[in-house]
Amino acid sequence: MSLTAIQMERFTAFEKLKVNCSPGLNVFVGGNGTGKTHLMKTAYAACDITKSEVGFAEKLIRVFMPSNRALGRLVKRQKGSARGAAEVYRSQQKLRVSFSNHTTVPESATVTGAKMWRAKPIQSVYIPVKEMLSNAPGFRSLYAQREIHFEEVYADIVDRAYRPPLRGPIDHDRRTLLHVLQQHMEGKVTIKNDEFFLRSQQGNLEFPLLAEGIRKLGLLWLLIQNGTLLGGSVLFWDEPETNLNPRLFGALMEILLKLQRGGVQVFLATHDYVVLKELDLQRTQEDEITFHALYREEDTKELACHSVTAYSEIHPNAIAQTFSDLYDREVNRSLGSARR
Amino acid sequence: MTALREGDIEMKLPSGARGRKFDDESHGLSHCMKAVDLIIELNDRILFVEIKDPEQPGAPGMRHEEFVCRFRSGEIDRELARKYRDSFLYEWAAQHLDKPVHYLVLVAISALDAAMLLARTDALKRELPFGGPANGTWTRRFADGCAVFNLTEWNKHMADFAVSRRGA
Repeated sequence: MSLTAIQMERFTAFEKLKVNCSPGLNVFVGGNGTGKTHLMKTAYAACDITKSEVGFAEKLIRVFMPSNRALGRLVKRQKGSARGAAEVYRSQQKLRVSFSNHTTVPESATVTGAKMWRAKPIQSVYIPVKEMLSNAPGFRSLYAQREIHFEEVYADIVDRAYRPPLRGPIDHDRRTLLHVLQQHMEGKVTIKNDEFFLRSQQGNLEFPLLAEGIRKLGLLWLLIQNGTLLGGSVLFWDEPETNLNPRLFGALMEILLKLQRGGVQVFLATHDYVVLKELDLQRTQEDEITFHALYREEDTKELACHSVTAYSEIHPNAIAQTFSDLYDREVNRSLGSARR
Repeated sequence: MTALREGDIEMKLPSGARGRKFDDESHGLSHCMKAVDLIIELNDRILFVEIKDPEQPGAPGMRHEEFVCRFRSGEIDRELARKYRDSFLYEWAAQHLDKPVHYLVLVAISALDAAMLLARTDALKRELPFGGPANGTWTRRFADGCAVFNLTEWNKHMADFAVSRRGA
């Protein structure tokens, strides 16, 4: 059962906002500071607690890392006392956390719906912007033993990558996806003594020697190969385009669309035109894609969301507007006074 | 106000502009030279205009698909460049080129967005060596500018030369 909605009230940057999710692919677009990552981290925290004993409020602290671990700092800033809340929905099920801006410890938060929510565990993955596999050896133990200033999404993704493969043969769909990735990486990923290597015709290349874009593909290969990304799981990916050559975007979007067709619910945040256009060009009628455009209302300056199912209907579209401005300037330069 | 027609598309010309169809039977060398569709002469410059209209009402679906395929592969860039080069040579030999020349391409595909138009404009520029080689041996410019438009962008940037569909 996939996530159906995320709702925020005086939470982080949001005054009040509800996003209805597609069971397939959800794409968040919007300028910097419009809350794309906050929405994904909140939904991820809700998914991840179904696989652990950690409470929702505690997980939010771990993924957001407010100063001094003070939960109340996640309430939208305003004068005086205020209460913030975040809700994540799966059909009729709702997980809710609320707390005041004076709350310092997670135990003071009010969490409702957790028992029912945890009854059906959700396999989830959050791929942060910064690639972590090249720093993975020793990172897990360091993170577990020391207070190091890393959001928990970084430790979590390393854990997922180290998972051993599932028992039994790999099904046809996963084999196809792995094959596509192998073609682009020109090899397969192996793990030796906690280090990740790309095994290619040139031999075993350790991850720090690889381009960061290739490491990203390697991470996706591992998550598919070890069975983390199976039907029913949820993938969150913050700016997949970072450090990836645009030539690889087509293959990456093809894989994400195929994962979605295989029952993986996908959430992306992107600033990239090519990512959006690849999805637009590669999608079939059956693909369930929703584009969520986050923006600030002109009058209130509060964050709002406009969700559409067609690329051409994305509005406001800061990415397209940027290209439109560039095009206008190019035409002006090219034609000069040709227009009379 | 005069108007030029190319297939289903009509272009209105402002007063003082002299326009003619170039790619028609009067060309006389179509067996060996390509030609742009329209040439418009203004007081201080000349516009070469090529119109591609795969969405023309009544056009077979294959024509549209074939064009999109050529457009995406970049094949169309080379064809557009050749049309410009041959037209430039033809008009140079006729001693008509006494002003700077701008090349405007109108591609009537509604799905073309600003990013794609920008990419095609850049690609066309790469095919047309405006100023000649880096050693500076050319003393005249081969072209003074080029741009690729869809119908909406044309009417936004070239409002004095408004285009519309005759069937509309």
